[in-house]
Amino acid sequence: MTKILFTDKLDSCVERWRSAGMTVIGPVQRANSSVYGAVKSASELDLNLVLTDRSIKELFFPQSEPMLRYAITKAEINTDEFLPPSGPRIIFGARACDASGLAIDDPLFGWDYKDEYWFQRRNESVIVTIACTKADEFCMCTSLKLSPDSTKGSDILLRPLENNKGWQVEELTDRGREAFKSVADLLQEGSDPAAATVTVPEKFNADACAEWLKNPENFESRFWKEISARCIGCGSCTYLCPTCHCFDIQDEGGSFEGIRRKNWDSCSFALFTMHTSGHNPRSTQSARWRQRIMHKFNYFPGKFSANSCSGCGRCTRECPVDMGITETLQEISKLSQ
Amino acid sequence: MSIEQQYRTRAKELLSAGEVKMVIGYGAGTTAERRRPLFITSPDETERLVLDSACIANLSGYLVTEGLLSDEKRVAVFLRPEGIRALNVLAAEAQLDPLQVVIIGFDLPKGELKALQGSSVDDFTALLGALKESTPDVDGRELLEKIEKMSPEERFAFWQEEFSKCIKCYACRQACPMCYCRRCIVDSNQPQWVNTSSHTLGNFEWNIVRAFHLSGRCVECGNCDRACPVNIPLRLINRKMAQEVLDSFNHFAGTSKTQEPVLASFKKDDSETFIL
Repeated sequence: MTKILFTDKLDSCVERWRSAGMTVIGPVQRANSSVYGAVKSASELDLNLVLTDRSIKELFFPQSEPMLRYAITKAEINTDEFLPPSGPRIIFGARACDASGLAIDDPLFGWDYKDEYWFQRRNESVIVTIACTKADEFCMCTSLKLSPDSTKGSDILLRPLENNKGWQVEELTDRGREAFKSVADLLQEGSDPAAATVTVPEKFNADACAEWLKNPENFESRFWKEISARCIGCGSCTYLCPTCHCFDIQDEGGSFEGIRRKNWDSCSFALFTMHTSGHNPRSTQSARWRQRIMHKFNYFPGKFSANSCSGCGRCTRECPVDMGITETLQEISKLSQ
Repeated sequence: MSIEQQYRTRAKELLSAGEVKMVIGYGAGTTAERRRPLFITSPDETERLVLDSACIANLSGYLVTEGLLSDEKRVAVFLRPEGIRALNVLAAEAQLDPLQVVIIGFDLPKGELKALQGSSVDDFTALLGALKESTPDVDGRELLEKIEKMSPEERFAFWQEEFSKCIKCYACRQACPMCYCRRCIVDSNQPQWVNTSSHTLGNFEWNIVRAFHLSGRCVECGNCDRACPVNIPLRLINRKMAQEVLDSFNHFAGTSKTQEPVLASFKKDDSETFIL
């Protein structure tokens, strides 16, 4: 028997989770931009969006994170480590592309070095995903072998009922079951009809693209220059991407006292690969765009057996010059035929 | 014949006659409302050019793409009056030779497409002079007036909230035709002048440094504002600075190709004496 969470019970759930010490996070509007933010009541949640402007990534991999404080004196060197703020969280109203983005990055952050900042937050978070009933022309999850109701990376999947009355609850993990056990009496057993999940047309053939990208002859293809001629090299696609994970470590302060921070960085920036010698191995924007595509659809899958893209489409949706991954892979699909 | 068709024909003629090696214009985008920068080098491709009320982006920044004008050949570019102003600023700051640029001018008063006569920056002197005297048509005027009425504390709180969203992607910089520095201050890390972190201080440093750097140079095309993925109303800061510069120095950026940069010039009769 399926469980149902009715919309009018959501506020009580939020209250229950909060009183159990969980931070409740979901899509909210903040100063004319939609983000995942902490809420005190269900009414603050904006669950009607296709997608938030900013991805879920920043809840696990903040754009700027202090790592340690250092103080160097004649006698000694002192360092104080910062640890990520701990405490259980429930993220209510993630989209499948954002949740799967987290699962895509898990092996990356746990590969040669286990990134405790990432995993502490991962282990303390319950991801409650709502299957999509609407999409826009930028959505492309199905091209990445995902779907608007993909369960990848989620602890709970909610399927919206018809007329926004609530959601069918699918418990996927122990962590999800645990979080929903605490609201069990607010759920109803039953099987009200779920609204249809939106259909997202497949826009490119990722397998064919992977084959083309693997061919060393295509590395110097004219295609890269042509497709990226209008790219202005802002990093907005990488910063909004739920799977882009590059960072830089910076010491802020003086030589003797300061804070070491971990900040987002982007392969779209010329500075990213600039050597101290002044030589830049990726000196043109086309080489940088090629790197971004190669990383996501060739190098990353080669190492971790998954594309580093979950098809959210933010790269295209927010691009000031109307670029993005979709068109590039559509063109590569054509070239690879 | 529509303006779009006339301009396609003109682009075709320029390319066929070898007068320009490239036309920078607009093409269809991913959705019906979107337009994207388009680079045409062959007369056969000019039918791909689109010109309508959705062609808002200022394309002048592409003119300073490294190497583009280094062979002394000419390039034609679709520009609104703001774009022509930007071209003048770039010329005045010795970033390009305006004689290498053929302007295909247009305007969008109240969203209606209008052709502009002329092809060289000097042909538009009167038009730009009139712009200086007119009341600017500012997007977000209501918000601007609201901010003007705020106390310094309220205003600080307003911008603090707006800047708190900044993700330091630098899309504003990259989209801006005036941000052509080969090495931006935030890309300098020996020493690190500006914090790269997107915390409060870092975000204020970046956005305020940029506003100062653009004072007397910004042509208010709105590229920064539209490029910002988190919707910070950046053009309001630039509007404010442009007004201050106009009021204090009677300087309207981009009126001519030989205009002295306001923050890089000094006159003996300037009222401030502390510089010398």
